[in-house]
Amino acid sequence: MILINNKTKYDVIVIGAGPSGVSSAINCAKRGLKVLIVDSNHEAGGQIYRAPPKTYKSIPKNKLEENEIQKKMSIELKNYQIETAYNHTVWQVSPGFKVNAFNDFSTIQWETKSLIIATGTYEKIIPFEGWTIPGVIGLAACTVMLKSHHFIPSKKIILAGNGPLLILVAYYISKFGGKVDAIVDTCSKLDWIRSTLSLITNQKNFNDGIKWIFKIFLNRIPVHSNCKIEKAVEVDGGIKVKILNLKTGEYKNIFSETIAIGHGLTPSTDITRLLRAEHIYDEHKGGWIAKVDRFLRSSVNGVYLAGDGAGISGALAASDKGLLASTALLYDKKIISKKEFDTNTRKIKKKLDKYEVFAKAISKLNSIPKKLIENIHEDTIICRCEDITKKEILSAVDQGAKDINQIKSWTRLGMGPCQGRTCQYTASKIIAEYLNCEIENLGYLTGRSPIRPVPIDRVLGDFDYEKITKVEAAPL
Amino acid sequence: MDLRVSSYFDRSKKVNINVNNMKIEAYEGECLAVVLFVNKIKKLRLSPKKKQSRGMFCLMGSCQECAVLIDDKKVISCNVFIKDGMKIKVGDFDKQQNKI
Repeated sequence: MILINNKTKYDVIVIGAGPSGVSSAINCAKRGLKVLIVDSNHEAGGQIYRAPPKTYKSIPKNKLEENEIQKKMSIELKNYQIETAYNHTVWQVSPGFKVNAFNDFSTIQWETKSLIIATGTYEKIIPFEGWTIPGVIGLAACTVMLKSHHFIPSKKIILAGNGPLLILVAYYISKFGGKVDAIVDTCSKLDWIRSTLSLITNQKNFNDGIKWIFKIFLNRIPVHSNCKIEKAVEVDGGIKVKILNLKTGEYKNIFSETIAIGHGLTPSTDITRLLRAEHIYDEHKGGWIAKVDRFLRSSVNGVYLAGDGAGISGALAASDKGLLASTALLYDKKIISKKEFDTNTRKIKKKLDKYEVFAKAISKLNSIPKKLIENIHEDTIICRCEDITKKEILSAVDQGAKDINQIKSWTRLGMGPCQGRTCQYTASKIIAEYLNCEIENLGYLTGRSPIRPVPIDRVLGDFDYEKITKVEAAPL
Repeated sequence: MDLRVSSYFDRSKKVNINVNNMKIEAYEGECLAVVLFVNKIKKLRLSPKKKQSRGMFCLMGSCQECAVLIDDKKVISCNVFIKDGMKIKVGDFDKQQNKI
């Protein structure tokens, strides 16, 4: 059944039901706006507080904090009678605004006057030889497996990359009774110690971090600091991993079943790129981000950015960023006065400034050492969807391709099902290093729909042949 | 070793799914990509040019690497909740897929 003609109009559509999406939707609904919140998951929560499957029944005496926060978010949306479109994946947004999404059965289109984009982030993973082997997964994938699906990813696992997810995943695996073979961190222990002064500004997250590190000590998990994974090879019953010490140049081999790797997060810009909003490059905020003003308005009238989509600052800041974006929207729609706008935004900004100190320290721990890019072997696949290697990218550059879109049309990089989400960051870094230029000069991949693969039968719809507008064929 | 963590949630009823004609036990509503992964069914599909095995990677609907065939339709398995009797094909399924 196709519902494409069944258009429903809203004042505001919020895309993404994570912490920022939920807080902005509630803020708008409180003021009487007709709000719809869309998410591809079956409940609110986003990735950070992702809901367990519906069939899981909670055991009252044991509670996981993240699951409790998630429950509250879904309940709050219900209390404010906000319309939800869970299980709906957005695949196209066009000016005006028309939002197209699909679920398991059909395609649907909604219309809205304003858009709040709260699509969060996805994980940045710098390739190494063998990163495409099944059994190499993202650190963020591990967090979803542990906290939402309640599975230990693997009997034996190596955690690699950098930043807070390394210690978070190690903590949860240990807490749930699993075993971590090793942590391979590109940062040094000194880098972590140096960051404490900034990290302590966010007491809640800092305390969590200390708890996680304590567990790693207690479980005697070997930590290889200043190290990166150089190569992974499939062997009988697992993966042989060669790690390189970035300082000493020494190699070491470790054996495991699974590798989980991640180098921080990068904002999802799929929809703002589709809408031709302006974007800027900010390494500390995760890469290319939509350009926003102080109140999170994008360069496109009526489009607001909430949460990490406008630069990474973490889950606690996300809900405040949702408040800020929606307050700007309410003011622009003349629903609240200038005075109310000023008072409210001043309060929110004050809180957000505090989180920025924390966010900067995290971004430092997640920074990508130059060697991580330089060391990528020329035969390593960069674009996983289309099997494009570093060598193929550089040979296109040699032949004259000077921006990322030209690389795309010459090599097919970023043309596959993921639309460049997995490879754009690394490809740009590789080219910038090769040409000795800034990433800004290479541009970003032009947004193209569908931003997620959509089954063609669901887009086609039901129609009578007579109703099709026939166009004269071009003369030969 | 069962990799399921059962201290916070009770699973629903036990069901069987069929993966390349092999019977796999799981609980109703569990995430398909995760169940395949912990059952060591990691090679889900082949890459288009080099025909290398690929498997679950991001687990949040971004990378599209965990695509499998369910009832001959291509879907990403990270967004699929297990139902009793589900028929799944993994591996070199482009050959197996019924092309229109």
